[in-house]
Amino acid sequence: MPDAIHQFVPSFVPRDAIGTHTRALRTLLHELGIESDLYVGEAREAGRGEVRDYLSYEGARPGQRTWLMYQLSTGSKVAEYLLNRPEPKLVDYHNITPPEFFFPWEAHVGVELDHGRQQIPLLSGCTDLAFADSAYNEAELIEVGFPKTVVGPILVDYDSFDQGVDTGLLDSLQSTRRGGHWLFVGRIAPNKCQHEIVKAFAAYRRVYDNGARLTLVGGSSSHAYLTAIKNYIQALGLDDAVTLTGNISQQALSAYYKAADVFVCLSEHEGFCVPLLEAIYNRLPVVAFDAAAVPETLGDGGLLLSDKSSVAVAAVVDRVVRDLSLREALTAAGQARLAAFSTERVREIWVDALKSLTG
Amino acid sequence: MTERLDHQKLLAEIDEEVRRRRESGDIPADLERELDLVFARFAPVDALEADFDQVLTRAEQATFIDVLAPTESSRPVVPIFKKVVRKLIGWYLRYVANQTSTFAHAIARAVRLLGERVDALEDASPLAAGNAVLRAGPQPADLAEWAPIVADRLRGVEGRVMHGEVGDGSLLTALVDAGVDAYGVDPAPRSTAAHEVREDEVVVHLRAVPDATLAAVVLAGCVDRSSLGAQLALADLAAAKVKPGGHVVVISRDPAAWQRAEDPVQVDLSPGRPLHAETWRHVLAERGFDDPEILHGRAGDDTLQPVPKGNAVLNANIERLNALLFGPASYAVVARRS
Repeated sequence: MPDAIHQFVPSFVPRDAIGTHTRALRTLLHELGIESDLYVGEAREAGRGEVRDYLSYEGARPGQRTWLMYQLSTGSKVAEYLLNRPEPKLVDYHNITPPEFFFPWEAHVGVELDHGRQQIPLLSGCTDLAFADSAYNEAELIEVGFPKTVVGPILVDYDSFDQGVDTGLLDSLQSTRRGGHWLFVGRIAPNKCQHEIVKAFAAYRRVYDNGARLTLVGGSSSHAYLTAIKNYIQALGLDDAVTLTGNISQQALSAYYKAADVFVCLSEHEGFCVPLLEAIYNRLPVVAFDAAAVPETLGDGGLLLSDKSSVAVAAVVDRVVRDLSLREALTAAGQARLAAFSTERVREIWVDALKSLTG
Repeated sequence: MTERLDHQKLLAEIDEEVRRRRESGDIPADLERELDLVFARFAPVDALEADFDQVLTRAEQATFIDVLAPTESSRPVVPIFKKVVRKLIGWYLRYVANQTSTFAHAIARAVRLLGERVDALEDASPLAAGNAVLRAGPQPADLAEWAPIVADRLRGVEGRVMHGEVGDGSLLTALVDAGVDAYGVDPAPRSTAAHEVREDEVVVHLRAVPDATLAAVVLAGCVDRSSLGAQLALADLAAAKVKPGGHVVVISRDPAAWQRAEDPVQVDLSPGRPLHAETWRHVLAERGFDDPEILHGRAGDDTLQPVPKGNAVLNANIERLNALLFGPASYAVVARRS
C-alpha cells in the first residue's frame, strides 16, 4: 500500500456529505498507517489546522510512495493543479450536477458545473483508480474513459445522530403538531426540486390533511431558486405550514428527523443522496422519486415513485403517514437496507480497494 | 417480524384509490395545473415551457433593475449596516443600473418589433393560411368507435395512461370505466366533468412528463393535423415517456378517407395530413416497439351493391370501387414497448 494518500477538495465544509466523507476517509487512512492530509481550494467552518491550501502542497517526500486523491464534485482550479502534478492519482467521484439544472436559475453556477464536467475526461487520462459513490456515478466514469473504477460508497457519520438532540426544538415541534410532518434534507437547488415537494405538499394539505407541516432543511445553492420557493410558498398561503431552516446544527437536524413522519425526496439528480440513509437511520419512512442514484441508495428501504405528480405523491405520503403497519414495514425494510451502507461495510470496501494500490 | 412489503402492489392500490377519488371529484381535476401555474409566476422562463410572447414579456419585466437591495437579516445590527452601505453606494448603482436598463429595454423593444414583423410575415404566408383553415378541421377520427376496442387492449395496465386529445371524451370514459388510471390532455377540452383532463397541447405536456413513467400513451386528433416533423416528434416523445412494457396507441384518420371526405381547400392548405397505418407501424417499430398491430375501423355504409347474377368483372370492379371510395374512415395502431 502507499505511504501517503493526500486528499484534494475543491470546496471543503466539514459537516456536509463530502466533508464528512473526506474526514472519515482520512481517519481510515491514518488507521491503515497511511499518511493523509487535506488540501483544499476553499474552506468554510473548518477548524484551525484541519486543512491546508492546495497550493501549499510541497510534493512527495523522497522515497515516499505518495498518491493524490481528488474529491471530484464540481469544476475547480484544484483539478488543473493536480493534472500537472507528477504523483499517481486517484479520483473520488461524487457526481457533478448537470449544468442544465442551474442555467435558468443561477447561470454562473451552471458555468462552474459545466467546467467541472469538462474536467472529468481530462482527469481520466491521468487517474490510476477512480472511486465512485454509486454504480450510477461509476457508469459516468466508465463512459468518459476512466481505465479502472470501483464503487466506494460515501462514509456516512451515523454516530453524530447519537450525540444529542435539540430537545427544545423537538418539544416545540411535538407540542405544535396539528397533522403529518414532511421532511426533506438537502441544499435548496433546482436539481433537488424542492418546488415539487412544496407542490405535492400543497396538494396533500388540500386533499388529505390541512394541518400538515413541511420542513425543508439545508442551505441554498441558488438564491434565485430559493427566492422562487419562498414566493411560491407565500402565494399558496403556506407560510405557516412550511419552514425553510437554512443550515442548522446537528442537534437540530436530529430533532427534525425525530419529529417528522415521512422523508420525501423528489430530486431529479442525486449522485448518492446521504439524507436518505440518515432518514432511514432515524427510523423515518422514506418516499422518493426514482431518479439517478436514488433507487440504488434506497433499494427496498423506502417507497420509490415513478410518478411525481403532486396528487400521486400526496396520496402515497398520506398512506405512509396514516397506516401504522406500513410505517413499521418501511422502517424494518429501511434498517435492512442500512446494513449495506453500515460504516463497517463501507470501510471494508474502501480498505479492499486501497489494498489494490501498488507503488 | 414484519411482513415483506410488496411495493408494486401497494403503489398500484394507492393509484387506484387516487383514480377513484379523481372520478368522484374529491380531487379537483385541475389541481395540478393550478399549482403549476402558481409556480410559473416565479420561475425563470427558460425553466418552464413558454411561448414567444410569454418569454418576451418576462424579458421586458426583467429590464427593470432594482438598485434597492433588501436589507433584512436575522442578525441584529446587520440591517442597519446594510442600509448604510446601500445609501453610500446608491448613486453609483443608479448610474450603472440606468445604463443597463436602457440597453436591456432597447434590446427587448427590438425583439418585440422583430416579433411583430415575423407575425406579419406568418400572416402573409401559405403556412399561416393553412393553420387558419386547420383550426376548423379536419375532423378527427370517431373515438366512440374505438373506445371499447382500445379500452379492452389497455385493461389491466399498471400505471398512468395519457390520452392525447380526448375529443368528445368517449374513449377517456371507456378507459376509466375499464379500470385504467387514464387522464386526458387536450388544448381545447369540451368537457372535463368527472375525468381528469388537462388543458394543454399534447406535445407540450409530454415534454414535461418524466421519462419511462407512463403505462400507455393514446394519441388521437393531433396526429391527423400536425406536420410530419411534429408527428415524428410525438412518436419520439411517446417512446420516451412510456415505461418498458408500456403501450402506444395511435388513432388516426385513414389518409384516403381524409382526402376524399375533407374540403379540398383544407386538404390542399393543410401543413400536415394523416399518415398511413403502415407508416405509423414503421415509425413505432423504429422506436423500439415490438411488432405494432394495425386495426382498421368500420367501412362506410353507402357501398355500391354488386349486380345480382352480374358479370364477374363488373362486380370485381364494384368491389375495387367500394374499397377506394368507402374504405374504413380510421385506423388504430397498437404497439407495445419491449
